[in-house]
Amino acid sequence: MSMVPKRIMKEVERLNKDPVPGIEVDIVEGNIRYFNVIMAGPSQSPYEGGHFKLELFLPEEYPMSPPKVRFLTKMYHPNIDKLGRICLDILKDKWSPALQIRTVLLSIQALLSAPNPDDPLANDVAEQWKTNEKQAIQTAAAWTRKYASQ
Amino acid sequence: MSGYNSDGFMDEDYDDDAFEYSEEEEEFGHNAIIGNSAGASQLNNESQTETQPGVSADGPFYENDLLDDTGDFEPVLGSIKKKKAWEVDYMIYDPEELRAKQVNIAARMEPLLGISKEATRLLLRHYFWKEENLIEDYLSDSERTLAKAGLTAYPPPPELKSGDENFSCAICYTDGADESYLALTCGHRFCSDCYRTYVTGKVLEGDSWRIHCPAPKCKVLLGITASRLLLAQDNTVMERYEENLTRSFVNDLDTFAWCPAPNCEYAIECHVPRTAWATTIPVVECKCGNSFCFGCKFDNHLPAPCYMVSRWLQKCKDDSETSNWIKVNTKECVKCKSTIEKNGGCNHMTCRDCHYEFCWICMGPWSEHGQQFYNCNRFNEDSSKEARESISKTRQSLERYIHYFTRYNNHEQSAKLARKLLATTEKNMEQMQRELALSWIEVQFLRDAVDVLSVCRSTLKWTYVLAYYMVADNQKIIFEDNQSDLEMATEQLNGLVEDPIGQDTVDDIKRKIMDKSTYVKTRWETLLRDITTGLQENRWQFETL
Repeated sequence: MSMVPKRIMKEVERLNKDPVPGIEVDIVEGNIRYFNVIMAGPSQSPYEGGHFKLELFLPEEYPMSPPKVRFLTKMYHPNIDKLGRICLDILKDKWSPALQIRTVLLSIQALLSAPNPDDPLANDVAEQWKTNEKQAIQTAAAWTRKYASQ
Repeated sequence: MSGYNSDGFMDEDYDDDAFEYSEEEEEFGHNAIIGNSAGASQLNNESQTETQPGVSADGPFYENDLLDDTGDFEPVLGSIKKKKAWEVDYMIYDPEELRAKQVNIAARMEPLLGISKEATRLLLRHYFWKEENLIEDYLSDSERTLAKAGLTAYPPPPELKSGDENFSCAICYTDGADESYLALTCGHRFCSDCYRTYVTGKVLEGDSWRIHCPAPKCKVLLGITASRLLLAQDNTVMERYEENLTRSFVNDLDTFAWCPAPNCEYAIECHVPRTAWATTIPVVECKCGNSFCFGCKFDNHLPAPCYMVSRWLQKCKDDSETSNWIKVNTKECVKCKSTIEKNGGCNHMTCRDCHYEFCWICMGPWSEHGQQFYNCNRFNEDSSKEARESISKTRQSLERYIHYFTRYNNHEQSAKLARKLLATTEKNMEQMQRELALSWIEVQFLRDAVDVLSVCRSTLKWTYVLAYYMVADNQKIIFEDNQSDLEMATEQLNGLVEDPIGQDTVDDIKRKIMDKSTYVKTRWETLLRDITTGLQENRWQFETL
């Protein structure tokens, strides 16, 4: 067996044994590379109280290539677009093979706490975030109640 | 106007030149190779009347900077030929010479920095080979300079270790004393298999020296020695790695560029600064025969400057087909200038935009047409004339563009035909050798003539771009005189070259072609010299681009 599945097996094993607080990872049956994730919105953020669904896929080249992650729940966030795609450096050029599913999900959670409107993926949201942050946070909270309250 | 008359039309020694064609082959054909293995190459010149400042008998002015790595610089032809006004200095490197050049720069820097060879080489790359910047930063804070680049002055030689029970690879999660691993100065350990896969992936993506430790956010550079150690077993990836190193050297330097010809592996060094590209066209000719502009990497576009060329090409891409169609198929509303296509119906037009009613034939107002609905005999009525005259300037400018474009395009097409002609010429030459019992050297005149033709076609083509953007004044009239002289002579030469050659006419035609080639070449040089000095003197005004 090549080294990749071994690594994936171990990662899954560790995730089960020692789960990340606030993040639930389920393996989709029949595909060891595909995961359903439910992430709790971090406290002190407009996403607090929400439960956001994500899908996570480990490509053939993983861990040499980053996992593909996407939000399935509608989000109002400057670095997440309508399709749920996430603008995060470690998912692109700053990926390191020593990172793992756990660290990726933690980074995404951190992104929810600290949006970065200067490096936007959703331009309209980022614009709103910069011009009227209060309003933007209210919208984000409203979307959380509307789409992410299970 | 200097340089315009001085060269005159036909020189006194014009006939004497006629049998020197074997020597002139280099002029329009391939460059003479001046210099040694580093391959300095310049467009050359047979006349030696003036000495060019900056070019000594030893070579171009930058010889010492560039050639110290490869030794002596001895002109193969015995003497450096004079550089023409429009020519620029440049050098050609093959991959081996590029590697040697990098090694030499590093060797020169090493004692200055006092750090290991490896660190010197990586630091130079980190500074895009800008030696002054590097030295400045290094002297003010050597520690910080190295750390920012992810380097250590004397890194221990990288080696694969094993035998640590506590080792666990953070990439594949295998562990144990059997695993061999590598750690850089940062101490992050990864097993050799993972390291190899990681480096291979990066190399195949085009990376080389920028590869760093795989740990998250770790900036420590892997280095060339460690990369070679890891890739030692895989020759293809290793070759690719070396290739990437050379590639990044050329790409990282503004003064270097790859020859854009397909499969050509030569690089050109040229020191004409970007700021001078508006008046100097840095045309270089690679050893592979491809002649291109160092500035915009487009084909040789002498004598039009880069910014004009890109502007023109963009315009042609946007406009050419559309504008031709518009010109042929539409008219403009006299009142609101909307473009109107008449796709049926009678001549009574009502503009959809401004509702102006007019006659399609005479363009006059419909109100004056009375009851003569379906024909117009009012072409000469004053109001109709006025209407036609007022047809907008935009259409005039369109026609102006088409005027220049047609000529530009004509030369482009003719240049293509000239290349085809070259192929048939080769055949003709063989035929002539057989049938007319001429020696190889005696039939070269035909090839030379075709070479002259294609160079002139290219130049003429771009003069129309220059003319299009040039504001009309007396200086432009002189420019156009020069242009039309060359154009006329080129067309005549083209006619001569295409003439059939027989036993009884061969001497006559040969003499005519050789005479005409020489004349055309003189005109070509006159035109180019005039344009080059004109651009540098700001002799012409150009539409603000």
